[in-house]
Amino acid sequence: MKVVGARIPRYDGVAHVTGRTTYVDDVRVPGMLWAKALRSPHHHAAITKLDTRPAAELPGVHAVITWEDVPLLEYGHLSALGIPADEPLLAKDDVRYKGQPIALVAAESEELAAEAVERIEIEFEERPALLDVRQAFDPEAPKIHQWGNWYPHFEGGMDRRQIRKGDVAKAFEQADVIVQGVYRPAAIEHAPLETQVCLVVPEPNGRLTIYSCTQALYFSLGVVAAHLQVPLNKLKIVGGTTGGGFGGKVDTATETMTSLLAMKAGRPVKWRWTREEEFLCSSTRAPWHMEIADAVTKDGWILGRKMLTLHDSGAYARFSPYGLTKHSFHHTGAYTIPNLEFDGYVVFTNRVPTTAMRGFGVTSVSFAVETHMSRIADVLDLDPYEIRLRNANRIGDTSPNGIVYTDPSTVPTIQAIAEATGHELSAEFRTMTNEPRTGEWLPEHLVAQLGNPEEH
Amino acid sequence: MAKHRGKGIAAIEYPTGMNQNGDPSQCWIKVKPDGRIDVFAGTADIGNGSKTIQAQIVAETIGVPYDWITYDNSNTDSSPVCTGTFASRATFVAGKAAEKAALQVKAKILEIAGKELEIDPADLEIIDGEVVAKGAPQTRMSISDVAAAATWGHGELITGTGAQLKPYAAIVDPETGRVDSPPHSAISYAACAAEVEVDDETGEVRVLRLQQCYDVGRAINPTQVEGQIEGGAMMGLGLGVLENCYPYYPSVEHRGGAFGSYLAPGMEEMPQIDTILIENPSQDGPYGAKGIGEMANNPQPPAIAAAVYDAIGVWITELPITPERVLRALEEKAAGKHEPRREGKKVVFDEELSVNTVSSGGIRFEVPA
Repeated sequence: MKVVGARIPRYDGVAHVTGRTTYVDDVRVPGMLWAKALRSPHHHAAITKLDTRPAAELPGVHAVITWEDVPLLEYGHLSALGIPADEPLLAKDDVRYKGQPIALVAAESEELAAEAVERIEIEFEERPALLDVRQAFDPEAPKIHQWGNWYPHFEGGMDRRQIRKGDVAKAFEQADVIVQGVYRPAAIEHAPLETQVCLVVPEPNGRLTIYSCTQALYFSLGVVAAHLQVPLNKLKIVGGTTGGGFGGKVDTATETMTSLLAMKAGRPVKWRWTREEEFLCSSTRAPWHMEIADAVTKDGWILGRKMLTLHDSGAYARFSPYGLTKHSFHHTGAYTIPNLEFDGYVVFTNRVPTTAMRGFGVTSVSFAVETHMSRIADVLDLDPYEIRLRNANRIGDTSPNGIVYTDPSTVPTIQAIAEATGHELSAEFRTMTNEPRTGEWLPEHLVAQLGNPEEH
Repeated sequence: MAKHRGKGIAAIEYPTGMNQNGDPSQCWIKVKPDGRIDVFAGTADIGNGSKTIQAQIVAETIGVPYDWITYDNSNTDSSPVCTGTFASRATFVAGKAAEKAALQVKAKILEIAGKELEIDPADLEIIDGEVVAKGAPQTRMSISDVAAAATWGHGELITGTGAQLKPYAAIVDPETGRVDSPPHSAISYAACAAEVEVDDETGEVRVLRLQQCYDVGRAINPTQVEGQIEGGAMMGLGLGVLENCYPYYPSVEHRGGAFGSYLAPGMEEMPQIDTILIENPSQDGPYGAKGIGEMANNPQPPAIAAAVYDAIGVWITELPITPERVLRALEEKAAGKHEPRREGKKVVFDEELSVNTVSSGGIRFEVPA
């Protein structure tokens, strides 16, 4: 091996550190117009009047679009997987979060576009907002989504993601101690240096060239083509170099709306979000509410887990059902727990829709189950490394959804950190491996966990 | 008033590739008449270094110097499908497509060289940009000459395509969550130890040191994977002690709309970070690689939360662990209100945060005794 494994400098490193990389906002073309959006000032309201004519009549304004200009108004982030859509590209009858786009203007300058947005006549009838996922199920909670306050389209028409494995009731009966806790990591911003930005150039041959900061060229291509109801050869996405994404630029936030403006104006249009828009209107990492109860023996075997997750999706579903499913598949973390009862809900609230972010669905559950593990060690006065090694997943153990672990590295990574920190492990934990469980590592409660030995 | 130090640990796992799969990446490669190599893929480089990684994989697989590779991911006309740069999939899935395309190119180079040298291609190998007869290294031909011969002599284009797809595992049992086949391409593992210092007067938590071990499968580029791990650690630190869109969540008031009012970690927060790489190869990844891009920000928050408890004896389970939350928790502890409720064999923490307290008859978390 000469190239693989070598510390080769970044392919694009010199351009980045000398400021010569071309990002979307560096691209300027003749005749380019600038876009600005009319956004909802309310968390939840009905739109009772929308008149864009005063904006369109302003000299220097070349196009104004609303929901009426979108060939396919609703196309879900997960539509390709057969999951129904719930979010209009531009708000139609109501707004469900502060910052939701309602109309866009393309004009000769950003200042003029902003002035035109101010001229749009709009009236609202404010509605009560739902913000706390824990209250979404209450009978008196405001109803904020056409599907109800939580997502109802999991397989089999289920309104939650369930994991059921083993016999949880028996595990809790057999436990010496039951430890319960609540874990709530916050919503955070992707905070890329490059804000959401897009430039669309209508070409003489009828195609659109879309300069995009997307993390996913072909995903965005599919989303724009679906909204516009055109075949893929009508669009060319130019990109591949993103000024920070962290998941937030998987959402196709600007490309479709800018395309509609460019088509209507017959001119190139650029839409670049201000830093304030990036912070306040772009999607965020979801806040999560997780409750865990573990059935534990006094020497630290985790016999069973009950868990409830409420995933704060914000106003629309976007990728949240995917994120919650992934979350559920990993809710035992790096350990093998034989008896499981997990219920997870994607809950709608009147905040900016949440979306994918680095570690999607699992960052939350890693925080919850690992903090819980440290608490269990403390409650039982056990070594926090050794309780982890005892329960660590091993070859032949099975995941929450029944997949056999073929080569897990929980044991060697913990051992490496014990050595690095000088944390002394007793001999049995210092010498254990990820090899299939035998002898004392195969207590009765884990026998049923073993998959078919033929499969390893 | 004093500063208290504490230590904590966390161990995590994370899947490579989209959950339930179904996320193709493709690559195509063509060879110029002098043997230099053009790689086309649709994989956005979001700072993760995927341009470099795919170029390395192609150079290694064909057997040419790295600087022979030109990589183009600039548009959807010339580049084939890539689902995108997310789900820790770029190195594993897109890198595998690049490896497959490069294998086709290598086979074509050997085929043309075999005709030129009148040797069975199976008896040829490529070393440092030259086709060499196995066991007879004096018989050789540069790839530049092979490409020229293909272009001007044989009238052929040396090209290759590769596609990587693990089909969509669509069937999840709605009752049990069971799936028929692995819903991931590989699983990576990591452990992290955090050392913190907590000021019980100001409530400030400073992360002093993070010691981290990642099983990366195979470090295609050790500098880049260390960069991912250290950058991810800073993001995890932000999650743990600084960042919050909604300071009074679930309220939406007082959101920060600028870097001055939203606390992202900066260089002054950077602790000592020690990185240990384990290379336990994956079965299907390019050269055994696994995807670790996302998990790099997962183990720090729980390791920090445990270290804060070790330092000052309070569990803070709402993130981030801000000075305000530290001081409130210390006040509660002093008032004897921070202890869990013990009932029979149950030890119940955080009851004030539970749906059982906050919901009015809508949802409950029932735990058998």
